[in-house]
Amino acid sequence: MIPAEALEQQTDFHHPVTVQEAVRLLAKLGTNAIVFAGGTWLMRAPAPSRHYVSLGRVAALRQLVITPETVRIGAAVTHDKLAAELQGLPGLEGLAVAAKRAANPAIRRRATVGGNLCTKEFPAADLVPALLAAEAMVKVVTPEGQANQSLLAYLDWRREAAAQNHLLVSVEVPQRAGRLLAHARLTLRRAGDYPVALISLSARPDAKNQLADVVVAVGAVEDQARRWPGLEQRLTGATADKAFAVKMAQELVADFRGREGPEVPDWYRLHVLPELLGRAMAQLQERLANGGRAA
Amino acid sequence: MRGKLHINGEWHSFHADPATPLHRVLREQIGLTGAKDVCGEGFCGACLVEVEGEPVAACLLPVALAECTQIVTIEGLYHDPVGRRVMAALEAEDAVQCGMCFPGMVMTLTHLLKTDPTTDREKVKHALVGNICRCTGYERIVSTACRAAKAMAEADVREETA
Repeated sequence: MIPAEALEQQTDFHHPVTVQEAVRLLAKLGTNAIVFAGGTWLMRAPAPSRHYVSLGRVAALRQLVITPETVRIGAAVTHDKLAAELQGLPGLEGLAVAAKRAANPAIRRRATVGGNLCTKEFPAADLVPALLAAEAMVKVVTPEGQANQSLLAYLDWRREAAAQNHLLVSVEVPQRAGRLLAHARLTLRRAGDYPVALISLSARPDAKNQLADVVVAVGAVEDQARRWPGLEQRLTGATADKAFAVKMAQELVADFRGREGPEVPDWYRLHVLPELLGRAMAQLQERLANGGRAA
Repeated sequence: MRGKLHINGEWHSFHADPATPLHRVLREQIGLTGAKDVCGEGFCGACLVEVEGEPVAACLLPVALAECTQIVTIEGLYHDPVGRRVMAALEAEDAVQCGMCFPGMVMTLTHLLKTDPTTDREKVKHALVGNICRCTGYERIVSTACRAAKAMAEADVREETA
């Protein structure tokens, strides 16, 4: 191990205080720059000779605003804060669960929403499928200007060259009457390690009490979280029923190619996916029976 | 970079790359070895220190971002009334384990007893999710934390009614 004092000044930390200043810095530093939010991913293997643009002093990125129509979450809001602020919001309980159960308490105090969405190398981020199922929009700023796009589009866009110097500023989650969101995660231990698979499920009951506007998002199973359109189609118009959901998921699980990882083989992620979907559906069933709230 | 850290009520100088994890500076330059260098990924909790009143994984905090913050390590927790109470309870219940994971456990339990003193075992277990014991176990520690919370609540009642 290299002694700490021998590592003199291979990296630089920059501390912008506004979004505009941060974006200017990113443009100026080019490929040497890397955005530093909570640091819980980057610090696992700090890159030498880099310029870190720290977001810790950009107050605007830590704001979280809840209105009857939307929840706007600043990119530097931590998991801990997100879970606390969403407490009691009936339509977004699954998002609160994703924020509250990810990793461990010390990580949740530092890891940010933006970090979770921007870290393309991390396939098992809880917030990504939860926000996909919530049909979130993201706001990004580049030297050319700002743009809003769906999270679904952003997950691919962030890998493109055009995204090189972007800053993710906020995430906007719609609050739709009657819409419920469930989140189920499977870890090898009871908690505290990377999830083997993640499922987020959102839907609302229609006039006949059948599921409408169904969105299913899957994380950790492949290299990038994504929606499950085939299953969404099968569940639309069905009643909220765990056994039916598991059966449908079993029939369609070949839509995914499992990710080989040090913790589990590829096939295992697919093997557990239907049951995990069943757990998410059971949450939804319970909330529907309870007038939209968890028991 | 050269800088200063405010640790356990005192200022300490350091000289390291800005991205150096805080626990390495604590251990190698300041001589505070209670925070351990173990997983380096924020999973095990052996390096927990209090920063601005909250336990954080020092292995994930670059020293450059720890400047201008109030840091309390396990060595300084003895001056914290709740920390001292937790340590005394663990000793009295013979729940002290080896020095690898235990400083981090004490940091976690002190924060828990300050913010949400509980006798609910599930809550204590959730709080300890990020503290990995590699050799002994958790049950005795959980029981002690619950008893300490109960004793604290009773002491508060006694103070209020005195």
